[in-house]
Amino acid sequence: MSLVSSLLTRGRRNVHLALCVVLAVLLIAGTFNLHNRVSQAIVSATYQPFFLIKTSVSELVRSVDERDELRQALVDASVRLSMLEEAARESERLRSVLGFEPAVGFQIVPARVVAVYGYELPVSAVINCGENDSVAVDQPIINRDGLVGRVVSVTPGFATIQLLTDPQNRVAARIDESREMGIVRYQTGEGMVLDNFPVQGNIKIGDGILSSGLGGVYPAGLRVGTVEGVERPEKQPFCRVTLNPAVNFHNIEELFVLRSVKP
Amino acid sequence: MIRLIPYILYLLLLVMHRVIFKDLTSIAGVSISLSVLLVVLVAIYKTEITALWFGFFVGLVLGAGTPEQVGWYALTLTLIGIISYQMRERLNLDSLKARLLMVAGACLLFNLGSLLILRTDAFWYRSVTVALPGTIYTMIPAWLFFLFKEGKITKENFRSIF
Repeated sequence: MSLVSSLLTRGRRNVHLALCVVLAVLLIAGTFNLHNRVSQAIVSATYQPFFLIKTSVSELVRSVDERDELRQALVDASVRLSMLEEAARESERLRSVLGFEPAVGFQIVPARVVAVYGYELPVSAVINCGENDSVAVDQPIINRDGLVGRVVSVTPGFATIQLLTDPQNRVAARIDESREMGIVRYQTGEGMVLDNFPVQGNIKIGDGILSSGLGGVYPAGLRVGTVEGVERPEKQPFCRVTLNPAVNFHNIEELFVLRSVKP
Repeated sequence: MIRLIPYILYLLLLVMHRVIFKDLTSIAGVSISLSVLLVVLVAIYKTEITALWFGFFVGLVLGAGTPEQVGWYALTLTLIGIISYQMRERLNLDSLKARLLMVAGACLLFNLGSLLILRTDAFWYRSVTVALPGTIYTMIPAWLFFLFKEGKITKENFRSIF
């Protein structure tokens, strides 16, 4: 019985094996172009979807890489653009400074602001010139618009300057037209004011204010500001004069130290 | 028909490996012979006729890219399926080493057969540089599979590594 069962099993196996071998031989021989048809059918049924998946994933990965590269390039371009814009602005400023004439008896030392201090308004700044450039305490600082402040401390490579916006700073000044004098200072909450100007004095809105040269720190003739408002209170000896500073203290960058030239 | 679903999935796994994972998993041009591994595993755990036909269809899928060789691949893998089954009947495969040796033998046989089918130049050189390393590489997933099958690798073991 087991022999019969074994023979039947083997016979069944042999039939299947023979069928497989015959099909394989037909494929090898290429009968009826069978090998091409079978290959095409299998490729389109099984390989094709995976090829599509692989291609899609590759494209997705490439797109992500490309996006990152483009984003990086955009950032680089933005940085370069802002640097170029900054360079253009600087060039414009320096061009306007080219014809700058120092006050008589003074030499100018160009300097660049490296730090600014102050809460709402800058009151002091650090410039990149110091003792090595013959910068000393009390030397006036100007820019192309007018008087900026004075040097208060010096190190070999840097100097700290007190700006006109510091309430402790005072400038002896005079009216450009009438040559009458007063003292310019900065008052917190009110801005730049001209003190000690008599109510009888000749002053009007728009008058230019220049340094008078008195006091020994600032030379005469440096532009400080223009008159913005004048009040003449009754029974008071002095006017209340507010000024519009000649210098915009929020954007000071290129400055000049005025160094006196000894004869 | 439902009984065929696992084998269809094995074939799709094979195609997926060939299209997507083969490049990723190959080392210096040596890749895993997943086709032989699948045929041997079916021969070890299923019937002779199943192993025979599975080998045949794996051969068709494997050789589909090269129609001239598709018949040779089908024939080779059919024979590997049947030989693996006969070995299983005649040998004691309780030992992991025995099963791995059987996988290695079948894999080496197939790799050498592939070199002959493809009529590769420098047969001996490529036997040493491709066929033999490919056999060793294929034993790694086979070894992991048998460990998993015997319950020596479990989810808990795997988690404990991390």
